[in-house]
Amino acid sequence: MALSGMRGLSVFISDVRNCQNKEQERLRVDKELGKIRTRFKSEKGLKPYDKKKYVWKMLYIYMLGYDVDFGHMEAVSLISAPKYPEKQVGYIVTSCLVNENHDFLRLAINTVRTDIIGRNETFQCLALTMVGNIGGREFSESLAPDVQKLLVSSSCRPLVKKKAALCLLRLYRKNPDVVNVDGWAVRMAQLLDERDLGVLTSSMSLLVALVSNNYEAYWSCLPKCVKILERLARNQDIPQEYTYYGIPSPWLQVKTMRALQYFPIIEDPNTRRSLFEVLQRILMGTDVVKNVNKNNASHAVLFEALALVMHLDAEKEMMSQCVTLLGKFIAVREPNIRYLGLENMTRMFMITDVQDIIKRHQAQIITSLKDPDISIRRRALDLLYSMCDVSNAKDIVEELLQYLSTADFAMREELSLKAAILAEKFTPDLSWYVDVILQLIDKAGEFVSDDIWFRVIQFVTNNDDLQPYAAAKAREYLDKPAIHETMVKVSAYILGEFGHLLVRQPGFSPREIFNIIHEKLPTVSTSTIPILLSTYAKILMHTQPPDPDLQNQIWAIFKKYESCIEVEIQQRAVEYFALSRKGAALVDILAEMPKFPERQSALIKRAEDTEVDTAEQSAMKLRAQQLSQTSNALVVSDQHPTNGTPAVMVNQLGLLKVPNPSTRSNMDNDSEDQRLPQVNGTLSKVEALPQSADLDGVLLDTLAIEGPPSSIVQPKSNSNLGLGGIAVESSALVPVDQQANAVQPIGNIAERFRSLCLKDSGVLYEDPYIQIGLKAEWRAHQGRVVLFLGNKNTSPLLSVQAIILPPTHLKTELSLVPETIPPRAQVQCPLEVVNLLPSRDVAVLDFSYKFGNDMVNVKLQLPAVLNKFLQPISISAEDFFAQWRSLSGPPLKLQEVVRGVKPLPLLEMANLFDSYSLTVCPGLDPNPNNLVACATFYSENTRAMLCLIRIETDPADRTQLRMTVASGDPTLTFELKMFIKEMLVSIPPAIQKPPQASPTPLQQASDVAASTDPGAMLAALL
Amino acid sequence: MSLQRGCSRSLSPRTTAVSASVFEDFKACISEEASCQTISEINLKKQKMIRAVLVMNTQGRPRITKFYEFWPVEKQHEAIRNVFSVLCSRAEHVSNFVDAESIFGPDSRLVYKHFATLYFVLIFDSSENELAMLDLIQVFVETLDKCFRNVCELDIVFNYSKIHAILDEIIFGGQVLETSSTEVMKAVEEITKLEAASNAINLVSKSVSNWRSR
Repeated sequence: MALSGMRGLSVFISDVRNCQNKEQERLRVDKELGKIRTRFKSEKGLKPYDKKKYVWKMLYIYMLGYDVDFGHMEAVSLISAPKYPEKQVGYIVTSCLVNENHDFLRLAINTVRTDIIGRNETFQCLALTMVGNIGGREFSESLAPDVQKLLVSSSCRPLVKKKAALCLLRLYRKNPDVVNVDGWAVRMAQLLDERDLGVLTSSMSLLVALVSNNYEAYWSCLPKCVKILERLARNQDIPQEYTYYGIPSPWLQVKTMRALQYFPIIEDPNTRRSLFEVLQRILMGTDVVKNVNKNNASHAVLFEALALVMHLDAEKEMMSQCVTLLGKFIAVREPNIRYLGLENMTRMFMITDVQDIIKRHQAQIITSLKDPDISIRRRALDLLYSMCDVSNAKDIVEELLQYLSTADFAMREELSLKAAILAEKFTPDLSWYVDVILQLIDKAGEFVSDDIWFRVIQFVTNNDDLQPYAAAKAREYLDKPAIHETMVKVSAYILGEFGHLLVRQPGFSPREIFNIIHEKLPTVSTSTIPILLSTYAKILMHTQPPDPDLQNQIWAIFKKYESCIEVEIQQRAVEYFALSRKGAALVDILAEMPKFPERQSALIKRAEDTEVDTAEQSAMKLRAQQLSQTSNALVVSDQHPTNGTPAVMVNQLGLLKVPNPSTRSNMDNDSEDQRLPQVNGTLSKVEALPQSADLDGVLLDTLAIEGPPSSIVQPKSNSNLGLGGIAVESSALVPVDQQANAVQPIGNIAERFRSLCLKDSGVLYEDPYIQIGLKAEWRAHQGRVVLFLGNKNTSPLLSVQAIILPPTHLKTELSLVPETIPPRAQVQCPLEVVNLLPSRDVAVLDFSYKFGNDMVNVKLQLPAVLNKFLQPISISAEDFFAQWRSLSGPPLKLQEVVRGVKPLPLLEMANLFDSYSLTVCPGLDPNPNNLVACATFYSENTRAMLCLIRIETDPADRTQLRMTVASGDPTLTFELKMFIKEMLVSIPPAIQKPPQASPTPLQQASDVAASTDPGAMLAALL
Repeated sequence: MSLQRGCSRSLSPRTTAVSASVFEDFKACISEEASCQTISEINLKKQKMIRAVLVMNTQGRPRITKFYEFWPVEKQHEAIRNVFSVLCSRAEHVSNFVDAESIFGPDSRLVYKHFATLYFVLIFDSSENELAMLDLIQVFVETLDKCFRNVCELDIVFNYSKIHAILDEIIFGGQVLETSSTEVMKAVEEITKLEAASNAINLVSKSVSNWRSR
């Protein structure tokens, strides 16, 4: 044994152990270091044995926490000793003491290389171990080929081979170029055929490192991983020494499943099936047993299997099976399993569609908040936070509040922040929100940051019906004997603003309010005094009729603070004093604070969105129904007087305009009558104006009616045509030359598609006969797109066919498209789109029609693209970083260096991001060359999912940048990353602001009006 | 006017202590990235690994420490102290997991096992499975047990060079090398034989001094 022969070392260790205190220890250590230093200096007579002894002592001293700033040379020099013990010491101590950039290491490269390519296996092992621990870039370049040779050599023993695999991993990380992807992929796959489990474990780690950078080169390894997993799970051919408490190498199982998680999908159905069989076996075959170690091992495999199942996005059945398992785990006796159960539930909640099943375990999760183990309590808090929504917010937040009084000090801050966010996000009613925040301040005032109380005041100010309630509550808290200063601030502010609303109630007279607030003045700090002064001024203003006593008392206070050293206090005191002598003017100036503009933390915004959605939808529907009824009637009645001027009819369908005698003028569109725009203009001004604010809503409302729009439109147009000869007549009028025209699209189809990707309405396609307009509304993972098929001619379009060719990630439903589009008519075809998965694929509209003898068929990309399912959010720094950190590494967080980017100034790049609904968050990244953005992505599978993006640009070279994308779903991360990459590499030429209506020849005449009148703009669009 | 201005001033800005402290983290991690020269080196910096193995006694004295990434010695010691202060306050029969991000920065996890007078601690990142790491501690301890027949703290104190050798056979450069304690024992026995063989002859090696004078 190394030490048994070194008496001096044992003596030294004993000495150190016997030291009574730190000071003695330091003296002893310093003495020893002095001695070693002297011995090293006088090279003479220093035997390798001594050197070895001293180097060990140095390592021991280093471990005790003392800096050893000499002797590195001696340690490194031992590497080249010919005898094993010295060499061993050299290698071991060097890897502990020396950092990879140390100059001495460079001197040793040749020795190390000689050991690696030499025939002495023990030397090989030592050298590989050191390189694997501290080898840097230079080692990487000079040693990688030798290490690779060892790894594939058939004569190399497993003992060496497994070290070579991990050594190569290190060298690869130092410089990825040392592994030639093309050549190595085959070798890597061969390594996975290894029978020795030690070598296989190391090789699997190597594979994980390789695929995490580039999985594409290693597809061939995927089936082999599944084979290995099968072998292990079925316990085939597993040597006894690799069975750990009856479980075939849990580490290898775990690593293999890790490797599989780096492949985005498994395409081959057979491989997929075998993998699911194995996973199923693991999920079903794991029980909680008595032996702790066995439990740990089997659950290590089980939890990894769960992660893989989530990654593979299994069928719902398997997912709910997983949740059931997790539900079982969070209630077991074994604390480790409880902990991981909660952690995995949180992860699962973020990515999959099993929220409802998880919510069934709410009671158990709340119980975990009281677990004796703080680690578990934290996980429970995390989970409660992520599973909170409108339905359970009240329960959860109240539990958190209750827990707050007994919670560990270390957790209180986080706890109160989370409770406040949840209360705000999911508040069922605002008075409850006020209650929660006031309780929060009461119980943990020191942890309630300013924005929390600012926010509650914004709410109260903006909601009139909340004000008396808040005032009453604030008054209640002021009666408590000792209250936190924040509570003084909030209640003083609220009572100053709204106390007068309750003036008739006992305890709310101006004098009483003043007295109780003024009582607190001596106890508060200078930051609170200005607020109190404002409150006094407000009380004074609200005291009607004036109370001279109170007035004098308050004036005296203002006077007193006029010479205050704090400028904020002084200024207020002076100003309030002067103002309060102005009599009536005071009332104007000190009037109630205006409502705050809605500004907002992501949380609030999201919360409001959901509220508006649900509240408004029903109202919108109702209105839509009414409108559709009237419009039905209108068109019919209106049609007679206009006497078959189809342009007007189309307008009416589109705009749902109220009938107006002025439309009676028999206008001919083709004649470009100058009167038309005027008439149109006045029309919308006079009649549509009262509605114009709602116009957009109205349009969308009609879409909100399920199905009907097209069916309503259709009969209408037909009935109009029923007027007979007009259609025939007009078709006869169609100029011959127009018929002869070859059908060429007008405008660039690709360009139109690209611009529609950025806005929600516009022209998708146009040719001489037809114009296809599009208007879309996107809400979370759903979209309603209406295609406006407008026949531009005076004869009908026949055999009209529209088929959507949806990619797998979209579910689309196109309502019936009529076979014929009457002359000059426009047909609306609603299309429902549901986004199932994140994907960059694009849906295609296969559209064909016949005009005269021309059969036209076009395939048009539909702008139901990934960014339509993004919603901009603004997110606070703490949320951003919390997410950023929790999404660690692939596959949830991916990074890529993008080259060949179109050079863009940062500001323009930020605009580009914004136009794709990716909110740029300025100020999050301190480096001005970087850009941080976020958005919420919606799909049925992922639900709402936060996406975080960071772009690091190189000011010296704008054509390259580094991009990091993170989200809770691996596919989403990947797709979004590619999407942004495409966006940056081929930037659409025109980034236009949305409501730029494309003029359509159909309504050429109205172009003039279009530029000014919003109604006409819409008309032009439709 | 001034009242409204004054009041809204105090109500508007959204800055919090919480966000500020998180911000520091981000800055730190950025400056760490910025200190590297090339983009590819930045990528490599985020190594996925076991970051450290710590063995300390129940008084907080380190017995074996090994960091797989470079930490200055003061930082090492500070981390050891912080870990100890968390561990010593933990009750029996609780989980083996401790929140490590406050000590070791983002994306770090810590598992530990308590045996008699010793804590065995592994610090790693999300690339490793927590329970598997716990199993690895068990393998380490079982190997020590086989090596020293009922290992105790003193064995570790006085044989720490051997412990290093054993550890190097289990964890290699922050990766799991060997999980079978039988295999580890075989390797360690080979080493022991070699040491014993060369201990018999204590020859001064010329090549060592030659190397110095080069």
